Amino acid sequence: MLSEKERERYRRQILLFGEEGQNRLKDAHVFIAGAGGLGSPVAIYLAVAGVGSLTIVDNDVVELTNLNRQILHRDRDRGRPKVDSAVEKLREINPDITVRGIQTTIQERNIRSLVEDVDGIVDAMDNYPLRYLLNETALSMQIPLFHGAIRGFNGQATTIIPPRTACLRCIFPHPPPVEVFPVVGVTAGYIAMVQANEVIKYIVQCGELLTNRLLLWDGLESRAEEIKVDKNVSCCSCGTGREETGI
Amino acid sequence: MKVRIRFFARFRELLGSEIMEEITKGTSLAELVRIIALRRSREGYDALFDRGGTFHPFVIIMRNGVRLSPPEAEHVQVSEGDDIAIFPPVAGG
Repeated sequence: MLSEKERERYRRQILLFGEEGQNRLKDAHVFIAGAGGLGSPVAIYLAVAGVGSLTIVDNDVVELTNLNRQILHRDRDRGRPKVDSAVEKLREINPDITVRGIQTTIQERNIRSLVEDVDGIVDAMDNYPLRYLLNETALSMQIPLFHGAIRGFNGQATTIIPPRTACLRCIFPHPPPVEVFPVVGVTAGYIAMVQANEVIKYIVQCGELLTNRLLLWDGLESRAEEIKVDKNVSCCSCGTGREETGI
Repeated sequence: MKVRIRFFARFRELLGSEIMEEITKGTSLAELVRIIALRRSREGYDALFDRGGTFHPFVIIMRNGVRLSPPEAEHVQVSEGDDIAIFPPVAGG
């Protein structure tokens, strides 16, 4: 049930998807993997939308070089754990939701317990090994995964609903080379908005999800394009390759 | 015979966004992309191919919406009207 204050706070979006939709948001628990460039705007917009429980996980502390894009953090936060900085801001933004920050490195031994009661996982990581771990976990626990990634003026996003849609490995079987990636904050903002929008649609149960489609954003040309993607029957995460590789 | 090749992300910066190419029958998809990349930018070629001229394993190759693995791209011959998309995964977050 929504309180009077909540009805007022969310009045403009209750016009969109009704109190039923808003209650679904209130009852939802979303896990945000990373409090950086993607994680910051995703968390802010899910908080203002009224997602009832947010868990945000990151192991880093705020550095000056983060501040061109990681918009939850301020100059004064330098040296603080990112999750502490993030939780403080998110509670200010919306005191009517529950925000939990966990300072840890996501790894094989803790990921299942981190996501055991969540309704969705937001991929706001900055590397493929951890993305593949999120993907494997989402597949085995049948939790939706909202993928986003950025470089420079370019970004990509897709939504994975196990077991019926293409998974991250179906689309990207091999990771790109590791690099210190260039990026401008607006690219993170654009892709994060696609991810947050997908999360809201999934919870509220409206619209058409970005499944089996990869959205490619080119900020230099101001062009968003879409590539159709299919499940790969021999995928080593969700297809026949899984047995062969013993994953 | 005419085909359309679209590059995305970093590949687009190095090689251009959309190329209409006149080709002879029997050209493989990988050969076509090698020719275009070599003509346009050495750096672009190196971003797509290893020293042996094989696509890097992470390169995503789509032909008319269907994914091809790098070895498949060596054998598949392009046809009139084909729409080819080549892009890298991006990793930042």
